[in-house]
Amino acid sequence: MKYAGEGRWSIWKSFSLMILAVFLLFIIYPLVLVLYKSIMDPFSGAFTMEYFGRFFAKKFYWSTMVNSIEVTVCATLLAAIIGLPLAYLMRSVKIRGSGLLNILIVISYLSPPFIGAYAWIQLLGRNGVVTQVLNEIFGVAFGGVYGFAGIVLVFTLQSFPLVYIYVSGALKNMDNSLNEAAESLGCSRVRRIWEIIVPLVMPTLLASSLLVFMRVFADFGTPMLIGEGFKTLPVLVYMQFMGEVGGDDGFAAAICVIIIMLTILMFFAQRFLANRSTYSMTALRPLVAEKASGIKQFLAHACVYIIVGFAILPQIVVVYTSFLRSNGGQVFTGGFALQSYEATLFAKDNDVIWNTYTLGIMSICIVLILGVLISYLAVRKRSFLNSALDTITMLPYIIPGSVLGIAFLFAFNSPPIVLSGTAIIMIIAFAIRRMPYTVRSSTAALGQISPSIEEAAISLGATELKTFSKVTIPVMMPGVLAGGIMSWVTIISELSSSIILYTNANQTLTISIYTEVIRGNYGNASAYSTILTLTSILSLLLFYKLTGRRDISI
Amino acid sequence: MSVSIDIDKVIKKYGDTVVISGLSLQVHPGEFFTLLGPSGCGKTTLLRMIIGFNSIEGGTIKIADRRINDTPTDKRNMGMVFQNYAIFPHMSVKENVAFGLRMRKIPEKDIETRVDEILRVVKIKHLENRMPTELSGGQQQRVALARAIVIRPEVLLMDEPLSNLDAKLRVEMRNAIKSIQRQIDITTVYVTHDQEEALAVSDRIAVMNGGIIQQIGTPQMIYQRPANVFVSTFIGLSNLLDAVIFCEADRKGIVFEFGYRVEMQNLVPNVENAQKVCVSVRPEEFIMVEQSEEGIPIVIQNIVFLGLHTHYFVKTDHGQVLEVIQNQENTAILLDGTRLSLKVKTDKINVFHEKTKGTLIKGETK
Repeated sequence: MKYAGEGRWSIWKSFSLMILAVFLLFIIYPLVLVLYKSIMDPFSGAFTMEYFGRFFAKKFYWSTMVNSIEVTVCATLLAAIIGLPLAYLMRSVKIRGSGLLNILIVISYLSPPFIGAYAWIQLLGRNGVVTQVLNEIFGVAFGGVYGFAGIVLVFTLQSFPLVYIYVSGALKNMDNSLNEAAESLGCSRVRRIWEIIVPLVMPTLLASSLLVFMRVFADFGTPMLIGEGFKTLPVLVYMQFMGEVGGDDGFAAAICVIIIMLTILMFFAQRFLANRSTYSMTALRPLVAEKASGIKQFLAHACVYIIVGFAILPQIVVVYTSFLRSNGGQVFTGGFALQSYEATLFAKDNDVIWNTYTLGIMSICIVLILGVLISYLAVRKRSFLNSALDTITMLPYIIPGSVLGIAFLFAFNSPPIVLSGTAIIMIIAFAIRRMPYTVRSSTAALGQISPSIEEAAISLGATELKTFSKVTIPVMMPGVLAGGIMSWVTIISELSSSIILYTNANQTLTISIYTEVIRGNYGNASAYSTILTLTSILSLLLFYKLTGRRDISI
Repeated sequence: MSVSIDIDKVIKKYGDTVVISGLSLQVHPGEFFTLLGPSGCGKTTLLRMIIGFNSIEGGTIKIADRRINDTPTDKRNMGMVFQNYAIFPHMSVKENVAFGLRMRKIPEKDIETRVDEILRVVKIKHLENRMPTELSGGQQQRVALARAIVIRPEVLLMDEPLSNLDAKLRVEMRNAIKSIQRQIDITTVYVTHDQEEALAVSDRIAVMNGGIIQQIGTPQMIYQRPANVFVSTFIGLSNLLDAVIFCEADRKGIVFEFGYRVEMQNLVPNVENAQKVCVSVRPEEFIMVEQSEEGIPIVIQNIVFLGLHTHYFVKTDHGQVLEVIQNQENTAILLDGTRLSLKVKTDKINVFHEKTKGTLIKGETK
């Protein structure tokens, strides 16, 4: 809004321009560079389609795209198929211990997917505990879940919580009068699920499915660990870029462009589907969980507990493993010991945890300040420039971490700006990755505030800037902080961009877990993961405490 | 063919809390019956028991002599209009209205004609392809009504349907609802906390408080001859004054404070001399007379001119503030501070027992 006396040049305009400069430098420029490198011959400087040609010419390359799409579509569908009924079940039937179950579901979602991958390898891998038991009992030679099945298993169990959280939130806001109206018009219970509930949560289901899709599609650690011969696009791009025989920038760039094309396509497909059916509802009479009778009650409990059990199983395996005695390397020698913690947590000059926390906190600060400013500018100071800023913040949403990492190295590895190998480049990458989520949660928080509160402050003699800092920000704060905590948890479990950007000096927990797993040192990896999980749980509890809410938006 | 509703000693409990204990009432075929009471009085609970969203812990509810206690809602064939309309947001107006018919597996062709017909009745035919978000509150209300009645329910239930509308629309819609109800001749139970709305639409009203029916009667009866002090103060405005009974030979009446005596013909026979009573006088049941005449002596404190009427806030010598309404034509407007006497319209006022708060007027309350 423009108030009287506001000149052509205001403080807000300088904020806008500053943010624009930051975005141009750290989002647009690296991405343009990726596009440029993908179609330019590095020696002659001429336009070339050679890289794209190479990708589509060899099955070794293009099959990764097919693999990626297959895995992602399967895992997304399965996540929706599990998450939606689970949410409905938990909202409509009284389940014992549902509070704890909710926390477990959220925790299983918050941990990085590749931790699930190596936990499942320990269970169902070639030498996995469960595999051995199965082979013993049935006298078969089951070789463990690797490749397609393994990846889909890990991703499904890791992603359905996201669908669950979203759909559960939508069901909470659904007005039960709609259900009752349908009932009074002669619609039976089973039929109401299809006629009323599914259509109403469909936009939410699509939105959360898109998040799952993006997450699964972009994930690098899981297929790397459990995929074995089954390569996906992020794995291919990582190998091409970091390859032992000297990375091929142009080809990696081309693969990045292909990945972005696919995510953009998906993004608009979801937009198209969801836009046709978005409803705002206020629950006058929310859905109430009712006690089911006899066998139904038992079945509901069995379903919920089994699903949640599978989801949280990797965490249990990891914590368990972290306490096992080993020979100091890859072999567990039986019994328990704190050895793994001595080698990780208490080891001298081990900065991993310190790094994780400082990098995380710094990027959170950046993302919160920028996020609040951008949402304020976009909502209250509508202009072409500010709408453009709002749109640019959505870009990182569709850019996988590894692509962003590669783009950053293209852009900041050589003068004029050299940032590669520094902590700053990681902080900025984390901040950019989280920007879309923070801007959205800030916009939501701002949407709750009526402009008249600000106008009241101004009428009482406060300047606009003062109003912003003394009225708007304090009122927005709870919502923004809640979003901030969730961003923090996501940042500390980030792997895909940091694996490309890190150096030994600024290694984080997730990178350490990953490298320890690659080295086969599961004990140390588990100790690191346990610390990470503990951090997530504590952050989650802080979130609950701060917001007083029991539901989460990510 | 419209049906009757027979509610016999129904009980509603939430856990151990009894919300309704043994409530009975009958709704006649085709009647527009209103449950009126303050929030939390159990009126919505009762309505939800009739439709089946609330279980019944005791007693029976019969529709046309069929016991329906254990019939699931979707088999009851009742139409309901919800407080927030509960329009399905993912369906157009037409689809919303057709929903119940589709559930009944009515052939597509018949659905078309019936939806068409009902949309004309509620006057929203031109909006049939709109989505609910494109409708105003009043239009949504009409969709909700059409959707409830198109299934030709035996009973129509409405839960505070007008409470989300602005004042002017509320009056317009209540007239519409009333005339549509007349037109299709359907037994209707209507829940509201708005007494004016209840008086305007109902054939009969049940006034409820604390899960108990205080009085059932026509709007006129409930307004003019309330069964107790609660009804008298909940419906319309009432000034409550202390008085005592006098019985002398064949004359009975009441004496107000300040010695103002009024003889009454319609007191119940068993009143006793010097019995304390509570008298309810509506603002329009006062007559303002000169200070010198017999009556309750008062001073005018405040005057509110409302065009049709003028409201006077007056104070007795004991400090009680009373509200008096005078028609415009009567006199010129008086000034603040004027001293006057108030008389009452003897045949209009109501007298209640001091303790039981029940009426002491001869049986006209039913």
